Order: sequence, then structure tokens, then C-alpha cells
Amino acid sequence: MRIHLAVPFLLCLTAFVPAHAQVDLSGVWADRITEDSYERSGGPPLGDYQGIPLNDAGRMKADSHDHSEWSLPEFQCRPHPGPYQWRALGAVRISQEIDPVSRELTAFHFEYLRSMERPVFMDGRPHPPEYAPHSWSGFSTGKWQGNMLVITTTHLKGAYLRRNGASFSDKATMMEYITRHGDYLLVTMIVTDPVWLEEPFIQTTNYQLDPHTQLSYYPCTVSEENISKAVPHFLPGQNPNLGADEIPAVGARGGAESTYPEFRLKLNAGTAKEPHSVAAKVAAAPVNLNAGGGINAGNGEIKVLPVQGNVYMLVGDGGNIAASIGRDGIVLVDTGVESMSAKLMAKVLELATAISSSPAPNRCVGLHCPGTPFGWSSPSLNAIISSPAPPKPVRFVINTSVDPDHIGGNERMAALPADAKIVGVTFPPVGIAPGATVIAHENVLTRMTEPGPGLKPAPSGALPTDSYHTDNYKLSEFVNGEGIRVIHEPAAHTDGDSMVFFRFSDVLVTGDIVNTESYPMIDVAKGGTIQGLLDALNHILDIAIPEFRSQGGTMIIPGHGRLCDIGDVANYRNMVAIIRDRVQDLKNKGMTVEQVKAAKPTMDYDGLYGSDAGPWTTSMFIDAVYRTLGKK
Amino acid sequence: MTRKSLLLAFAGTLIFGAAAYAHHSLAATYYPNKEVKLEGKIIDFLFRNPHSFLQIEAKDEKGVMQRWSLEWRASGQLGQQGIKRDTLKVGDEVSVTINPSRTADDHRGALKTLHRKSDGFGWGDNPGDTSE
Repeated sequence: MRIHLAVPFLLCLTAFVPAHAQVDLSGVWADRITEDSYERSGGPPLGDYQGIPLNDAGRMKADSHDHSEWSLPEFQCRPHPGPYQWRALGAVRISQEIDPVSRELTAFHFEYLRSMERPVFMDGRPHPPEYAPHSWSGFSTGKWQGNMLVITTTHLKGAYLRRNGASFSDKATMMEYITRHGDYLLVTMIVTDPVWLEEPFIQTTNYQLDPHTQLSYYPCTVSEENISKAVPHFLPGQNPNLGADEIPAVGARGGAESTYPEFRLKLNAGTAKEPHSVAAKVAAAPVNLNAGGGINAGNGEIKVLPVQGNVYMLVGDGGNIAASIGRDGIVLVDTGVESMSAKLMAKVLELATAISSSPAPNRCVGLHCPGTPFGWSSPSLNAIISSPAPPKPVRFVINTSVDPDHIGGNERMAALPADAKIVGVTFPPVGIAPGATVIAHENVLTRMTEPGPGLKPAPSGALPTDSYHTDNYKLSEFVNGEGIRVIHEPAAHTDGDSMVFFRFSDVLVTGDIVNTESYPMIDVAKGGTIQGLLDALNHILDIAIPEFRSQGGTMIIPGHGRLCDIGDVANYRNMVAIIRDRVQDLKNKGMTVEQVKAAKPTMDYDGLYGSDAGPWTTSMFIDAVYRTLGKK
Repeated sequence: MTRKSLLLAFAGTLIFGAAAYAHHSLAATYYPNKEVKLEGKIIDFLFRNPHSFLQIEAKDEKGVMQRWSLEWRASGQLGQQGIKRDTLKVGDEVSVTINPSRTADDHRGALKTLHRKSDGFGWGDNPGDTSE
């Protein structure tokens, strides 16, 4: 009898023991601003990086910061980034997402005064691939370590660690360790950034549970805050705000040494290192982590990323390809390198088959579904047991430039199977050559037919069938339910660049005007210029509309690298404008191009975009900027 | 609670209250210890969050007419001071003092005081400056 009693008692005990060591973090937590209250409310002194382990590139980036940058339209409603958020003003609301059946914790949701809702997935999902888009808060997953919630965040957009220009890059990773002690929350954050930090940046912040605090509505609208149209920044050595707040320079310059307690003793003893200076450290440029190919490295595979609406991004060897797939057929923007064209065609057809055979949403489960011919099936089942319709063929190919990694597969992609049908019409009609319509700017056609001395013209099957010479080209009717606009950029990467805008899907394909892994390739021999490239980037920013707080909305597929949005292109445009201004300044001083290169005007960005080898090096980029800038 | 801790708490409330909507640092954008006086005409008033902006046409120190963008408080904060969307009108002639931008060629500033010539309406940083 005693045993019979003991068993239910033990079962009761077990039922109340959490499956994992979970702690309920839900509630509104108020920041008490007990750490660094001065810099968190009024703002940090300009040029004060103490406690931040900046490397020399990170210091150069911070020194160029002009706070008027916040008035750029793309930055006015930018939320605080994940790594800064814990030190921002306002409370945080944490809620839990519980699976209603299994009662498992599947996610935490963090909301801050100025920021987006930030999910932290607890369901074991992996982090997205490297070509997936980045956000201001990043992509977060969590797990329990005892009673401590450990969060790993990747896919961050580059932004600030402190509101004076000290920054982290989009290569950064953030770890957060959150512990609840009664009504107090201790958040320990560790940011690792191989581009701008020489050691991890560690910061702790406290919050207090406060049932009387509410997150208030935080409206934000973008307008003309600054009359100046330039990208605000200071040239190297010309920031008048450094050292203006009477902070000892040896500490204010930051660096790993300044983060350790012994640093104070060294300061007192006068043995701390001399402050770093850009001039003394120009040789210390970091290595670009993308060198060697990065996202578009040559592994012979093509990966698919659904973007939105009809549009998919195909991430392949050598570059990105966009595909619109739907009821009317396939539109390809660029066709990749020739060697990959068989794999590209197979991947596109596989994708199109999957899409065209997808059943309508199944609203009937089980037998006797109304409207089905046999009464025992559902639309889904019918689709599975029947042979799906073949995908529609490629109807349009649009080339963004004449480069081999954009036109290499034209011939194969544009060729239609002899019995292909488009909207009920058998192609090719009698007397008309088979194949898709190939659209490009006429400068692309000219270069393909007359490539120059010693070069072989492209085969006729690869040539544009419909070239245009105006600023804009519109496809004459909807394709897959939407209008498609082709926009000419006259002197950016080349003089024949086209951007393609899918108006309903709200996706803009930029070709090589944007490259998240390299400095923009300015092909001077083909009419590219630094100013034309900057104009094109500004044009992208004019077209794109964010979903909310400078991210999402219009999605932007770059020629190479990861899927972007307006925030990413703003960061990229700023980089290009800043380097343009630096090179212009050095050229105005009478420097030769070799002297300009020796001054390393790109040093702070080399870890993100630079390269010493391959088809487009940092040296070639500076050369192109220098050559296409006039002397002012 | 001692007088000192009361004062600290009060100061903290002031700081937080003023900065809750300040997503960027005003002192980092404008010289807090410099003042410039401008005489001009209103050409736009952007009554908005996170900051309102008053745009005026006025001459710079060289006598050249410029368009100036003057950062003001959030619409909610201005509303608490009785300033509404239609308080100022395009064409109003005003005299303002500003903290100028740290970037000299920007022609922008943080609004410190405003005085409308036609009716004496005024706004300023100090309590009681606003009058109508």
C-alpha cells in the first residue's frame, strides 16, 4: 500500500519539474540607467572610445563619424541595433511564445521603445545561410544553460556600439547571457567582430521588473532634416571633435588595452600605450573575410532563396541570378557564367515545376470533399497522385551588364524547347525564330557584337533580341501578374547597366552596382565612373521603400553577395561616398594615384570589401576612383 | 530620502524626460556652447517625431541667403508647450537663435529661441519664454 501511495506522489512531483531549466522572463523590464547614465541620456562625448576594443580600422571608421549622418533619410527612423539596444533609453517588454499543444517554449519576443519586435527562437532551428538578409536586430536563437538564457545573434546590419561612431560590422556576432535574479535582470553581452574589434566587446546592463511601465507608441516619419545632400563624415585627420571633451587621449582612443582594469594603473604610472593614430597604423588593414569568393564561391552549386512575391534569388558560382516564376512562364535577370548554365537550367526548371504543381490551399481533409470528381480526394491529393503540368518556359531574359558572369548562360536559357507552349500557343510560331526575348541596354548589344580587338563576338543565340537606349524600358504587359521596369544607369559599373524592378513583388535587381562582398567594380574601359556608381546607388535608395524602420520592404538583389534592403544599400552608399571624398581630397592635394594608394584611404573598409588578389582588388578600385574623378 | 538623493532623482527624471525621444545625441550634432542669431522667413514647418524641424530662409554670416534646417523638439513635447501644427505659418518673419551644426556647410542648427515679429510670439529653452 505504501508503494501505491508513493508512485502517484512522485508523478505529481515530476509533473511540476520543468523539462529544461526554464525561467519565466516575461514582463516589462525598466532600465534604471545605473551604468554610464551620462552617455546614455545626453549622448557620449565625441571621440571617446574608452572601453571599446577597437582595432585600427575600427578607430579610423569611428574617427570619420559625423553625427549629422543621423539626418540621412535612411537613418532617421533607423532603430537602435541589437548590440546597442540594451544601453538605449526606454524599457524592454519580454513575452513568451508557447506551443498551445505541446506547451513548449518556442520563442521569446523582445520589444524595445525604438526598435522592432525581436524574436529569439527557442525551437532549435538553425541560423539562415550567409546569403540571407541581415537586419538591425539580427537573427537570434536561444538555449538554456542552467537558469541562464544564452542567445546567439548573427545576420546583423553594421551599426554603432556607442553613439559616437564606434561601430561593429555586419560580420559581427553577438552573444547574450540573461539571468533573472528575482525582479532584476542581468544582461551580459559579448560582441565579436573580426573587422573592427581586436577583442570581444563585453558589456553588462541591469533591468528591473516594473509592472507600471508601458512601452509607448514611437512614431517616426522621414523628412528633409538636412539641407545638405552629401553623406556627412570627416576626412582622416580632420575631425575637429576628437579630444574636445578633455578626456585623456591615451584612454579615449579605446583598444583592447583600455578595457582591462590594469589600464587605470598604467595610466597613473604613465606606461599606457600611446594613442593609436591612423597615420602610424596604415599597414594594419584587416583581411577581407570574403576573399576567395565568399557567398558566390565556386562550389558548383546553385542555392535558392525565395525573396518575395514571384521572385527568387539563385545564388550560384560567380554571381546572383533573379527569377520570376509564375503562370506566364519564367523571367530571368542575368544568366550566370556559361559553365553553370546546364545546372542553372535544371535548377530553374526544378523550381518552376515545384511552383506550378503546388495545389491550391487545401481546405478539405479526408474523404468526400465537395467539388472533387471522385469524392475521395482532396485538391492536394489530386496534385500528388496526378502528373503535374510541366513548367512554363523561359519567356524573358534581362541582362544587367555585358560581363561574362551575367550573360554566360544567355544562349542556353533563351532557347525554347521545340514543343514549348506559352499560354496555349505553340512556340515557335511559323517563321519566327525560337527563343525567349532577351533584353539589355544597346551598349551591351554593341559590346557583345563588337567586343574589341582579339575578342570573339558572342554567338547570335546569346544576343539581346530587344535592346533599348532610353532611360527606362517597360515590358509591354504584365508578366506573372506584374509590371517589370528596366532602368538604365548610364555610367555606373559600365555604361550599359540595367536595374530590373518587379513592381508587385517589390524586388529590385541591381546587377554589379551593389556587391556586399567587394568594393564596387567600376569598369572604366566600359564607361564606368565613381560618380555614376554613386548616382545609381542613390537611385536605388530613391526607389526602395522600407517596410518599417529602415529595413525590409523593397528587397534588393545585388550582383554578388547577400540579399539586401534599403538599410544595407544606405551603408554601402555611405562607404562609397566616403571613399570618393577621401580620394578626391588626396587628388586635390596633388598626390599621384600611387601616393593615394599608399595613404590607404580605404583601410577601415578593407576588412569588408578589400582584396589583394582576384579579379577586383582594392588597388584596382582606388585606381578607378582616382581616374574617374576630376580635380576640384 | 535625503535632499541630495531627492535632487539626484529629480535630475534623473529631467534627463530621462528630455532624452526619451532623442535617439541621436544633440550635443554630438550641434555645438552646445555656440550660438548664432538668424533673421528670416519660415518656408516649412515639419511638426513630427522623432524631432520637429523648422526651415527658414535667412542670410549666413557672409550675407548669402541660405535655406536653414533647424531641429526642434518632438511634436508631443511641443504640444505640451502649446505649440501646434498651425502655430507657425509659412511666410512668418522670425528671429531665432540656434546652436550651429558641427558641420559648417550644413546650414542647420538646434533651435534655442524663436521670436515672431508680427505678434511677439516667442519660444525659448527657459520656463516662461513661451508667450503669446
